[in-house]
This record gives sequence, structure tokens and C-alpha cells, in this order.
Amino acid sequence: MAASNRPHPGPSFQSPGSAGPDLSSPTSSKKSDNSQIANLHPQQRPDTLQNSSSQLSISSNSWRANSVSFGSKGVRYGSRGGAESEGFSMSRREINDEDARLVYVNDPLKTNERFEFAGNSIRTGKYSVFTFLPRNLFEQFHRVAYMYFLVIAILNQLPQLAVFGRGASILPLASVLLVTAVKDAYEDWRRHRSDRIENNRMSSVLVNDRFQHKKWKDIQVGEVIKILATETMPCDIVLLSTSDPTGVAYVQTINLDGESNLKTRYAKRETLSRVPEKDMISGLINCEKPNRNIYGFQANMEIDGKRVSLGPSNIVLRGCVLKNTDWAVGVAVYAGRETKAMLNNSGAPSKRSRLETHMNREIILLSSFLVVLCTIVSVCAGVWLRRHRDELDIMPFYRRKDYSEQEVDNYKYYGWGMEIFFSFLMSVIVFQIMIPISLYISMELVRVGQAYFMIRDDKMFDAASNTRFQCRALNINEDLGQIKYVFSDKTGTLTENKMEFQFASVSGVDYSGEKTEYFGEQGGYSIQVEGQVWRPKMKVQVDRELLQLSQTRNDMKSKEIYDFFLALAACNTIVPIVVNTSDPTEKLIDYQGESPDEQALVYAAAAYGFMLIERTSGHIVIDIQGERQRFNVLGMHEFDSDRKRMSVILGYPDSTVKVFVKGADTTMFKVIDKSLNLDVVKATETHLHSYSSIGLRTLVVGMRGLSIPEFDQWQSSYEIASTALMGRAGLLRKVAINLENNLSLLGASAIEDRLQKGVPEAIESLRTANIKVWVLTGDKQETAISIGYSSKLLTSKMTQIIINNNSKTSCKKSLEDALIMSRKLINVTRASDDDASYVALIIDGTSLVYILDTELEEQLFELASKCAVVLCCRVAPLQKAGIVALIKNRTDDMTLAIGDGANDVSMIQMADVGVGLSGQEGRQAVMASDFAMGQFRFLVPLLLVHGHWNYQRMGYMILYNFYRNALFVLVLFWYVLFTGFTLTTAITEWSSVLYSVIYTAIPTIVIGILDKDLSRRSLMTFPQLYGAGQRQESYNAKLFWLTMADTLWQSIVAFFIPLFAYWKSDIDSSSIGDLWTLAVVFMVNIHLAMDVIRWTWISHASIWGSIIATCICVIVIDAVPVLPGYWAIFNLASSGLFWVCLLGILVAAMIPRFIVKMFMQHCKPCDIQIAREAEKFSNRIESTRNGEIEMYPPQR
Amino acid sequence: MDALPRPKLKSKKPKYSRFTQQELPAWKPILTPGWVIASFVAVAILFIPAGLLCLSASERVVEIIDRYDDECLPDSYSNKGDSFIQSKDTNKTCVRTMKVPKKMTAPVFIYYQLDNFYQNHRRYVKSRSDKQLRDPGFADETRDCKPEDNLHGDENEPIIPCGLVAWSLFNDTYILSKGNKVLDINKKDIAWKSDTEIKFGSDVYPKNFQKGELIGGGELDETKPLSEQEDLIVWMRTAALPNFRKLYGKINSDLEANETITIVIQNNYNTYEFGGEKRIVLSTMSWIGGKNDFFGIAFLTIGGICLFMAINFILLYVCKPRPLGDPSYLSWNRNPSGQ
Repeated sequence: MAASNRPHPGPSFQSPGSAGPDLSSPTSSKKSDNSQIANLHPQQRPDTLQNSSSQLSISSNSWRANSVSFGSKGVRYGSRGGAESEGFSMSRREINDEDARLVYVNDPLKTNERFEFAGNSIRTGKYSVFTFLPRNLFEQFHRVAYMYFLVIAILNQLPQLAVFGRGASILPLASVLLVTAVKDAYEDWRRHRSDRIENNRMSSVLVNDRFQHKKWKDIQVGEVIKILATETMPCDIVLLSTSDPTGVAYVQTINLDGESNLKTRYAKRETLSRVPEKDMISGLINCEKPNRNIYGFQANMEIDGKRVSLGPSNIVLRGCVLKNTDWAVGVAVYAGRETKAMLNNSGAPSKRSRLETHMNREIILLSSFLVVLCTIVSVCAGVWLRRHRDELDIMPFYRRKDYSEQEVDNYKYYGWGMEIFFSFLMSVIVFQIMIPISLYISMELVRVGQAYFMIRDDKMFDAASNTRFQCRALNINEDLGQIKYVFSDKTGTLTENKMEFQFASVSGVDYSGEKTEYFGEQGGYSIQVEGQVWRPKMKVQVDRELLQLSQTRNDMKSKEIYDFFLALAACNTIVPIVVNTSDPTEKLIDYQGESPDEQALVYAAAAYGFMLIERTSGHIVIDIQGERQRFNVLGMHEFDSDRKRMSVILGYPDSTVKVFVKGADTTMFKVIDKSLNLDVVKATETHLHSYSSIGLRTLVVGMRGLSIPEFDQWQSSYEIASTALMGRAGLLRKVAINLENNLSLLGASAIEDRLQKGVPEAIESLRTANIKVWVLTGDKQETAISIGYSSKLLTSKMTQIIINNNSKTSCKKSLEDALIMSRKLINVTRASDDDASYVALIIDGTSLVYILDTELEEQLFELASKCAVVLCCRVAPLQKAGIVALIKNRTDDMTLAIGDGANDVSMIQMADVGVGLSGQEGRQAVMASDFAMGQFRFLVPLLLVHGHWNYQRMGYMILYNFYRNALFVLVLFWYVLFTGFTLTTAITEWSSVLYSVIYTAIPTIVIGILDKDLSRRSLMTFPQLYGAGQRQESYNAKLFWLTMADTLWQSIVAFFIPLFAYWKSDIDSSSIGDLWTLAVVFMVNIHLAMDVIRWTWISHASIWGSIIATCICVIVIDAVPVLPGYWAIFNLASSGLFWVCLLGILVAAMIPRFIVKMFMQHCKPCDIQIAREAEKFSNRIESTRNGEIEMYPPQR
Repeated sequence: MDALPRPKLKSKKPKYSRFTQQELPAWKPILTPGWVIASFVAVAILFIPAGLLCLSASERVVEIIDRYDDECLPDSYSNKGDSFIQSKDTNKTCVRTMKVPKKMTAPVFIYYQLDNFYQNHRRYVKSRSDKQLRDPGFADETRDCKPEDNLHGDENEPIIPCGLVAWSLFNDTYILSKGNKVLDINKKDIAWKSDTEIKFGSDVYPKNFQKGELIGGGELDETKPLSEQEDLIVWMRTAALPNFRKLYGKINSDLEANETITIVIQNNYNTYEFGGEKRIVLSTMSWIGGKNDFFGIAFLTIGGICLFMAINFILLYVCKPRPLGDPSYLSWNRNPSGQ
């Protein structure tokens, strides 16, 4: 690119007046522990250079930076929009030529002439008619299993190695490929169909100064597009103007992130007055390369020679719906596959289950068995050839020499060494199913089946949010049965995240007296507007005294109350939406916003007569005790997790300027001027303590007036910061930190977040199941502890160890003390078994800063593993992941993280199993999770019931598949020893191939999906039964070797009984082959039948059906006259010996297994066995434990 | 907070069915001590008599075996079996006598038994063309038959039946006589009916067979279709194991005890080159086939073990009883401090 095209390197300075209220984005002061990690998949974004550079690498330092210094040093920890989180180090980097895309507004030709920007037509379909075959095959062969099939099939095509006929060798591969291809084709056809519908939707686009309808697929970057209310965005557009004179547009992003509340987006002041049809809009937008960060956008726009910065609040993404706005006009900047929505269209994260990892270990063992078998065969073959080397030439069954031609030649003989080598390869082909490749396919099918049942479980359906259970990752179902640690977020996970304003402390006076009744008959405060009654949508309980005080405006006290409620009503990002009701004279104000805390505060302010009724980017209108007042919003500093506060700068009608700040107490008290009135501060601190000790969430509100020079100074730096292209967030934070100081304390609010239904019971069940529950929360220690008590995580008998230190040395000391104490406690109370022996560890985020990633980690781990309960409070999102990693890296125990918010994403991705709650806080947690559900309490059926079943089913299925394939291979192997080691199979090649495809495939899958060792009720009544999975009882090395020993015995029985029975008889190889086929298939199915616990009609059908199907197949194969084995089965079945043989084989094969099983069952019964007997034979469970644990108690 | 789903939203609540809730009616068998003992006893009761039955059936079978490959080799050829067979001038007739130990009731089956002959060798098994055997249209279908595919490598002269299997057709012949009376050996219906009727074509005639450089074994009558060449058909049912018998023919008259049978053997078939053994076997037949004590012993063993296990389990259940489904046996109830 030529240098002349470079964008201007720095932000252009503008006069303060022209800046106007430039809100960069709606804030999100969600909850105090929440910093949004917008990068859903930070590690998956190599395309965004400047963003991906440091997300992970900074993580360790950032905790320290975050918690230690709130000064003006570079604070580098996650702010809104991961794109901006790098701080100042990045600020000097401009969007340079390579990283930029230039969009000429309303000039698509010029925009697209230099770069080939993607058009707006989308193609989610992977294939076209012509590319389907090659591409689909290419993708399928990416899997190891298919490659193995392919290599074996190719080997078999070599004439020297042709063990099986062409057809038979290709059949297994072909059938698998065909099934997958049909499935893929169907899915792709559906994608194509929806693509077609999408691409042919219409939008109006400015062409030749007139808006014309255009199909979506024809929209180009640079075109100006007009969207009407309730229409969907065809591509990512930067807003130019909207029907609102202030340039606000409300959008619903439900298609993008699932959040149903309205978000505000703004058109720039410089463009919003233009009428696109009349005024030529021309400008240049210089924006980032397409990336998948849906919460970040950085660009600037040159218009009329001015330079305007654009942020995430100026862009509306494809898929969003315009609401409550008549129209909006914008310019397309990203189209088609480059839109953020499409870039985010990636699948669920892929994890590999623990069981599968273990299984792979055993598969390596099986591979070495295979190599051993093949070596034995090839060595023996070599020895045999050497011993008979003089006889080979004319030996009737070898005939090395071919005499038919003039020249006597070796026929099909490649020398001794090669013959050995070929026998090795041939034995690999013959014994190929030793490595149970079909197992991988069966496992996939079983997991789909298990997922189906989990999704369909009506006990995991959340009626409140109308959500079903979701399986997002399909390959870790069985991990759910082995969890030992649950890491839970608190807010929204244990609690409902439905905030209710409870108490307030204003100027050191606590208003938490007896109150609690709705004001007035109608309930709630209301105002009259043009003859209509407007009232808030939600009613809030009010404190009488406070209400009276707020209605008077005389004394000092009510002035403070006035400021307090004004702060609550103004210092937020809530958008009031007026909603019609059935009564035409009455309208409801619905406060829409991203943070439930803010909603609660605004509803509370409204109940006390400070009703927010209008918000635009430039001003807000608040009805104060019936009197409308308009305040200019001169600036706003969003919430971020470093400052843990937000501020808004209000211009009063009398042109005084004040800044209101609201935030978490820890950070607020640092910026409050304590010299003003220390008593108030002290009193407020006491109140805060008492609020949080009953589990309420607290926020502190402060304000101060700004003098004119102070304001001017702030405004100019704010201007610079907010137009900076890079490192804007860091600059803005610095500006905010400079502004937010010397505040006078207004008061504090207390919001209740109620515990979700069934949480205490669920936690109790999990703990009985020997699962350690750790709660990681951003809340204060007191709040966390009180929630701990109410959720039964903590009991009064427990010994609490609390660690909250401010330095590394003190951390070290308290850790050592705690370790000594916990050891002592555990030793002392070992004898007496009660809760007193349980130790609870409570540790806060500041201490964790000094512990995580240092040598103290080891001690923390040791301490934590001794504790029954661990509560971490005030932790940052990445610390959550750090704590999960603390356990995950040091033990083999399975970890599960459950959370609902963006701050839990890192933890969810770190844990072995991530569960997202589709709660109030958007869907980022769900998007990052492996499983998603509606309520915390569903964790109990998920783990104890489905997890247990899945684990037990999958463990058994893997062992059974090993056994099934090894048995068949061994039978083939024994026979090879009697054929001069020449890889002849008595079993027909078709039966060999169909063995794992038809003869034995279906029962194992059906049993893997349907078998239940215990009923749901037993599993829920005895959570301890979950221990079977934690102790790896269904799949372990011992079971593997036992199974293999059993396999060896069964193969010996299956092979040698017919061998001895027909030794020196006139049996032909086809007949004995049929006998072996039937014997093995019967054995394998009866073996399965012996282990089936719950016989439904489907199990019966699949097992007996397989046996019948096998018989039919054998008969069909033997009815083909051109196969050597023609009619063998009929001749065989007409002899008595065959039936005697079959019976003998089956009984003799199963006896050792039966004896061992029955002996173990009687002498060393496992818990599952006893519970199963109890289920069937007695009512003991009901009589002894009746009602003790009730999972679904009536509402509290 | 059990809010009803908003009416305008369709509830996604999964429809209840016993299938989706995994509550299909099921049979949940648990093997109680009673069942365990009963099943052991049942197996014992079934297998011990069955074993005895097998043994007695095997006992009733009378079998005479005579190995003749070494005996029929003149001393002058003692280590040169090959040249003895290959030479056209040697007298290959050999006379053997056998004594009937017990009365053999008709039909008496005559088998030849080959030992150490790998009829299941991969190179051998594959060297045949089943299409050619069945259908004259596929006469040139000799791809797999190398090196016995075409006469002198000429593709227009396919060998019928081709391949090593047919080429190595067994060609010793036996004439049995009792006293002076030659016993009539019935060589009809020694092959499977399905083979003579369907697998081997009645319009396929041998051609170019054993005309090559190396003679592997018996020759065929070119005027008879393959479906009537029962010796070939029997031979073409390749044996499963390296020691095998094949039916030679049947004698439809009883042989009395202590009678002497004279067998005149044409010792044509060459097993000397690879150390094979040839035997002639006369045997009667029972329901379990020929003489075979293995089954009787195996069944008695299984039955015995089951009986033994039944007694052991009875003792176990009496000495160390465990009430079924007693929660006090659950691991967390057994050792409460173990948590």
C-alpha cells in the first residue's frame, strides 16, 4: 500500500464543545465480580493480531496488577472487550495498513476495487454437488479410524497380500463412509436450504440516491442500508443515523448471544442529521480486519474532514433485530462470511473424555498384542518354510514351481524373507479388528443416544426459563460420572440473579427497619403523563421512613437522600422502555439493561419517586417526585473489573456539573474523601458489614461536584482517550481513575439475590456423593460466608480457616498455620465422626494473587485437599481458572465448573467438564460450556443419575468391545497355527467382515444407550453410589486384564472344542468355519446377555435379533453356489455333533466367568450390587430413608 | 419461582414417555443363591448324562485303522518314496489284512486318512475356480488357479477342473475282500447331495486334466460330467485340519467280529515327498459321528465341575450368608470413618 493511504497516526483534536456526549458503549456494571471476557475463545483467534497477542500470556501477572494497584499504572486485566485489554503497551499501535480495512461510505465500487471484501451471500453449506464427493471423503479421512481402515483395505488390494476378496475388504470402510456421507449430505442440504432463504431476504439499500430493495446476497461493503423496525441486520453495519433525533437505536441480540434484553447503539452526532437520499454522505471508515470478537470494534471515520472514533456501540451486527426504533441507516463494513456473527459460527469446544484417554492406553496395549500375534505367525511361517524348503517345489499344497510354461519358474514366491514379511502384513489384515476401530463409531452413536436421553429428561427441564438441558459437547458424557470437584460460581448459579433492592444506608443512617409493604393501593409509585398513568413494571418494597424523607425537600437530610436516589437513577446504563398495557390509560416502564443489579436499583429509585423515564446518549430525563428534570449526560465511564465502579458526569439544568460514582465497597472507600465526615463513613462501613453478613450484595454510591476548569480538563482528556484508536480502554480507565477521587459518600445499597430453588439440597447431595464443592465468587467474604451457610455448604460445626492477607509473607505464614491446624483437627476428630472434623477454607482473591503461580500453590493445594469446603471470594475470572487448574494439574480427579456469566468462561473452559447455566446473564457461559441447563439443582440428576449411567454404560461398552474383537481375532489366530501359518481363515471372509458390522454391532450400542444398573430413585437416595465412578469401578486396568483373561479362555474353548471334536474326521473347513462363526457370535451375545441388568423389549430384540441375523447371514452366505462353502451350514446342522458342540462351547466358555461373578457378588458385593438387590427384594430403602433427602422440596 | 411458561412461548418441556425417561418396563433378573445353585445343578444334570451318552455312543463305534504308506513301500525304495511313485514301472499294488475286532453293522464307511497334508494351506485353498466347476460358460475362469490354470500356458486350453486342489486329487484305490468274496464298495452318494446337484455342473466335463508336465494325482474320466465325479467332489471339499479323513465309499453289509479283511491297495498317491501319512479307515457311525471320546470326557468334566461348584456354593451360602439388599453392607455403612 502506498504511504499516502496511511490513516492519520494520531487522534485529531477537537474542541470540547463539539465532542458531545460520546458514550463509547453501554456499560455493564453487572455484578461486582464481573469483568466481561469478551473473547469467547481467545485461543482460537489467530486472525486478530493485536488482540490475540496477550490474552493468555498476561494472565498470571494480571491478577497481581488487578488487585494490588489501582493507581494509574498499567492495569492490564480484562476490561469490557478483550480487544482493548492490553493496556497502554498497545496504545501506540495504530491500525496500520495491513490490519485495516478501508470502507468508503456509500461508494461500494471504490471500497471494493482494491480489496476483495467478501460479498454478503453466506455459505454455511460445506459442499456443492461437484465438490461433495472429494471434500466429504477428504474430511472423513481426517479421522484416524478411517485411515486405519483405508490402509488395511489398500494393503489387501496388493495381489501378494489379498487375504480377502475385493468386495469383502472394502465393505466395512464403504459402509461406514456411506453412512457418514449420507448424514453429511442431509445436513448440508439443510444448510443450503437455509442459506438460500437467508441470501434471498430483502433489504433496502441506497442506490443512486434512492433506497431500493436488494437481496441480501447482493449487498456489498460500503453500501448504505436502511433497516426498519423489527427487521434483521443483513450484515455488520456502522450506524449513521436513526429515527431517534439523538441517534439511538435499540437492538436485540438474541440471535447472536441469546440475550433478550435490548441494547442501545448510537449513531455518531456528525452523521445523524444527514438524510441519505439528499445529502451525499461520503466518508472513509478505517476499521479492523474482520474478527470474531462480538463485543469489540475499533474504527474511525473521516467525515467532512473530521475524524470521529467508532466503538462497539456504533456497530450493529448481522443477525441483530432493530427494536423500538422506526428506522436506522448505516453503512455496511463487514459482509457475508466476514461478519462477526458468521465468524463466531464455530462448534462447541472439543474435549476428550477421561475414559477415552484411558481407553487409548489400552488400545496401545491391544496394538502390541496385535503385533505380537503377527510376529508369532510370521516367525512360525518362516520356520515352516525353512524346514520344508526342499519340498516346496512340487508339494501338492504349495507348488512353488510353475511347470506350465517353457521356463520353470517360481510361482507366487518372493523369497524367504519377503514371504515372512508378507505373512506379517497379511496377519495384520486378518487380525485387523483386534484394534476395535468400530468402537470409536459405536461410542459416538452411544453418546448421541445418551445425549438424547439427557436432553429429554423432564427432571432437567427448567420451566421458569423454558429451557431444556443442552449437550453441547458430545464426547465427554461419561466424564459426568467421575467428577470429584465441583467449582461453582455463586451469583446466578447458586442464586437466582434476580435482584431485589432491600436496604439502603444514606449518609450513615441505616434504613432497614420494618417496612415491607407496597406503597398505596395500586402498589408502587406512578406518574401522570398526558393523561396516562406510567408506572414501573416491577414493584419494590419500600421503607416507609425513607419514603417520607425522600418526598420532603427541605432539610439537609433529604438533600442527601435526593442525591442518593438521583445517583441510583442516573448512574447506570438502563434504558427505560414504555410498554402499553391492556388498559389504555396505563403504561408500564420497563427498565432494560444488561445488569440485574442496575435494574433493581433503578426500580428502587423509581419506587421512591425518582423515576427514570428517558435516556438518550446525550441526556436523561428523570421524574423527581412528579417534576420532570432533564440532565445532560456529559460523559460516562463504564464499569470495569479493575476499578469495580462506574461513573457518570451529569450536567444539571442549572449548568453545574457533578460526577456520580457507584461501585464495590473495596474500591469505593479508596476514592472517598474520608476527611469530610468520618462518622458517616464509619457508620456506612458498619452497615455494609451487616448487610453483607446476611448475604446481601452491596454497592456504595458517591459523588462530587466538578469545577469548570476541572471539567474542562477532564473533557479534553476524555476526548483524546475516547477517540484513540488503540488502547482506548486503557486511556479511558486512566481518565476515569483521575476523575474518580475525593468523592463524598452518599450511601450504600443492599440488594438481595435469592438462593435458587433446591440449592442446599443439591449441595448436600453432592457432598454426600463425596464431591467437593468449591464456591468461587466475586462477592465479599461476609456475603460469601452467609451464602455458604444458607446453601448448607458451611455448617456451624465446621472449623473455618480464613485467609485474607495483603502480602506474600503473611500469606505464607497463614497457609502454614492453617496446614498445621487442619492436620491437628483431622487427627483429633478422626475418631469421632461428625461435622467437626470438616474444615472449611475461606480465601480471598487478594491472597490468591500471592499464592497462585508461586511456590505457595503447593501448600494451598495440600490445605485445600484437606478441607471439605473451600470458599473463594473476591476472585477475578482468570483466578477462577487458576483455582481449577490448581486441582486439575495436581491430581487425576475430574473437575467440573459451573457458572452462568461471562466471568465464568475461563473457568468453564479450564475444567474437565464445563457446565453453563442459561440464566439472567446472557449466554456466554453457555456458549463456552460442554453442557448447559437451567438450574443449579439439575447438577444432581446430571451427575448422580445420568453421569453414573453414562460412565457405567460406556465403561462396560469399551471393555466389551475389546473382548468381542479380541475373541474373534484369537479364534482366527488359533486356526492359523493349524494351517502351516498361512493366514487361512476357516470362517468365510464375509463373516469376518460382517462380524463387527452386523453380527455383534447393534446389541453393544443398544445396551450402551439403554442399560441401567440402578434406578434413578436409588441413585438419588444414595448419592454415595456415585463413588463407583470416582473409583473408576467400571473401567480400570484390572478389569481390562480380567476381561482379556476371560477372552483368552473363551477363545480357547471356542476353538479347541470343535478342533478336538473334529480331529481326524472328514470335516471340511467351511463347515467348521460356520461352527466357529456361530459359536463366537452366540458366545459374544450370551456374554453380553449375562451382563445386561435391565431387560427391556429393546434389549431382547437387539440381542436375540443379532443372533437370528447372524444365522440368517450365515445361511445366505452358504447358499451362494460359487462360494466354496456352499450348503455347509445345512449339512452341519443336520448332524448331532454340531449341536452338542455348540452347547458344550457355550456352557464351558461361560462357566469361569459365571463362577467368578457369582463369587464376587456374594463375598465382595459392590455397592451397586447391594442397591440393586435392595431395589428388587426389599423396601428397606424406603423404610429407612424415607423422605430424608427430598430433591424437589416445595418452594421455600 | 415456579413461573408458568409464558403462554405465547411454546413450552419446550420434553414430552413424557416411558422411553424418553428411560422407564420402559423391564425385567431385572438378579441371581439369588437359589438360582445360582439351581443353574449349576441344572448344567450338571444335563451334562453328566449327556457325557455318558456320548461316551457310550463313541464306545459303540467300531473303527479299524491301518497305516499303509510306509508298509506299501518296497524296501528297495525305503527312502525314495518319490521315485517309487513317480516311476511308471514300479508295481504299486499292495495287500494288507485287517481283523474286525467287533461286529460292524452296515453301513461300514471306508475312509482314507491323510496326515500332515495341509489342505487348508492358503496357496492351496485359493487355487480353485468354483465358477468353472458349475458352469461350462466359465471354463476359462482360471484366474485363481495358477499354476494349474491352462495347459502349457495356452489360454485357450483351460484345465477343467483347474487349480491345485483338483490337481492333487487322491488316487489310491482299495479293493476289499472278505475271505474270497470281494466286498462291494458303494461309491455312490459319498459326496453331499447339494454338491452333486448344484455346485458341480452336470454339463461340465473334465478337459486337459493331468495333461501337464507334473502329475499331481488322480485322473478323471472325460466322458463323465463333474457332478458324477464324486471322488473329486469329496476331495474338493477341502479339509479343515491337516489331519483329515475323506470318505472313500461304503460297504452295505455287516462285518462280523474276528473276520479278516484283505485290502488290495493301489499305492498311487505321493505323500512321501512331504512326510505325509496315509491310512485306510473302516468305521461304523453313531449319532455323534465317528469314534470320539473327547465329548464324553469333556461333558463329564463340565458336569462334574458344575456339581462341585454347586456344592461349594451351597457351603458358601450356608457358612457365610449375606442377606440380599441389606443396606448395612454398603461400603459407607461398613466403614463409616472411611470417608
